[in-house]
Amino acid sequence: MTKHKTGTREEWLSARLGLLKEEKELTRRGDELARRRQELPWVRVDRDYRFETDKGSAALADLFRGRSQLLVYHFMFGPDYKAGCATCTTIADGFNGFAVHLANHDVMLWAVSRAPLAKLQAYQRRMGWAFPWASSFGGDFNFDFNVSITEGQQREGGVEYNYQRGGHALDATAVPEPVAQNAAMAGTDAASYTRERPGMSAFALEDGVVYHTYSTYARGLDGLWGMYQWLDRAPKGRNETGVWWRRRDEYEGEKA
Amino acid sequence: MKTAERTTHPHAVASREEWLKARTALLAREKELTRQRDELSRQQRALPWVRIDKEYVFDAPEGKVTLADLFDGRSQLFIKHFMHAPGQPGQCVGCSLEVDHVEGILTHLQNHDVTYVAVARAPIEEIEAVRRRMGWKFRWVSSYRSDFNHDFHVSFTPEEIAAGRAFFNFEYQHPGLEDRSGDSVFFKDESGQIFHTYSTYGRGGEEFLGIYRILDLMPKGRDENGPYHTLADWVRPRNLYGQGGMVEVTGRYHTSGCACGAHQDTAR
Repeated sequence: MTKHKTGTREEWLSARLGLLKEEKELTRRGDELARRRQELPWVRVDRDYRFETDKGSAALADLFRGRSQLLVYHFMFGPDYKAGCATCTTIADGFNGFAVHLANHDVMLWAVSRAPLAKLQAYQRRMGWAFPWASSFGGDFNFDFNVSITEGQQREGGVEYNYQRGGHALDATAVPEPVAQNAAMAGTDAASYTRERPGMSAFALEDGVVYHTYSTYARGLDGLWGMYQWLDRAPKGRNETGVWWRRRDEYEGEKA
Repeated sequence: MKTAERTTHPHAVASREEWLKARTALLAREKELTRQRDELSRQQRALPWVRIDKEYVFDAPEGKVTLADLFDGRSQLFIKHFMHAPGQPGQCVGCSLEVDHVEGILTHLQNHDVTYVAVARAPIEEIEAVRRRMGWKFRWVSSYRSDFNHDFHVSFTPEEIAAGRAFFNFEYQHPGLEDRSGDSVFFKDESGQIFHTYSTYGRGGEEFLGIYRILDLMPKGRDENGPYHTLADWVRPRNLYGQGGMVEVTGRYHTSGCACGAHQDTAR
């Protein structure tokens, strides 16, 4: 028998109604934050970033593909990785399903990584994804948006990530277990793995000028990670002590 | 430091330093919301569970299946109450958008003790026609012959519709439609006993629309400017964008060739 508290339908309903009030409050607070985000000033992007894409070399403005808004998922796939980050992979499994809806609502979603394009293309074929993926290899894009760091910065420490210097698990000198696991799944060492960071950035295109409007990192990405919305409401919750997720084709018993 | 300037467009443009200051202030509020959400999730799971004593039977493509069968060997079951009434001509664009979110992560959920199943009131043949047209792989069964939808407050009787009063989203209100959207969670213990643990309706379902979490970060936000000021303004079944047709206020999509009565009383 279950050890969880059980009740009658009336008892459940009374507890549920109390919670509903708080849920509605959270919904309203989320609305309020969304308004504040839209009020952030924009920053004009003056640098000429170049990317390699399926359709050849592209500028940041080209990535909009006729839309006025661009969303970049900073996918952790460094030049030394053998495969894309397994955690970013589960996030991409989520947005791959609804990127087409975004594209039809004036938002072009791209993944951008520092690995050379051929590596990204091979991995994309393996995972069967449809969203576009650009390589920022050799450019400053990833560094300017605080999702890649140099070996020098890593050695000296005090790297800025998620709007603070140091202090993130990816900066820890003693490698935490989930970081070691993710590095192993990417086929690289922890130092190379943590020179890339997850994040997302939003841009607007107006009168031919690109503006940076927003970036978020770390748990700011929870909303992109569709899986957790469902798990948070499952009776067992996230139910994790470490990294349990694998690539879709790497779970035991799953076909590649 | 340069002060915020205005160009031809109405949005304030600032230096990187000014942006960073505003962004960091917002970050503190975002973190607060993240923690608040974590706390709420804990409380959602702390709700008492209600034992299910009724035997619910659904129609699946392969025949009859019980609620217990739907767990498919796992202990946690997530039910998406998909709005699709018997004989309904158009498909619900909101429900379609919601399930597009789960297709890619199904394998992950299944490998973490969660089974995801959509349930709709339409007969299984009608459900299968929609599923095949959309190419969806998640399990989708019919509650056509069952009280399931009524017991979990997502379908309403003709009497309730006529009276304009039914229990939906935890209050008595005009149900509006015979089927509404919702999400319910169940648990099955080692002895096989099933418990209902959680249900959510209305805007509670936005938790499973990750696309809104993204749009909320974009310069234009949700950008739903009418006629309904909901997702029905712009969402279409994902393979039918740019092909005309119309969406009712209810979210039901009708193809451009559809000649049913719904077209007469709606704006587009």
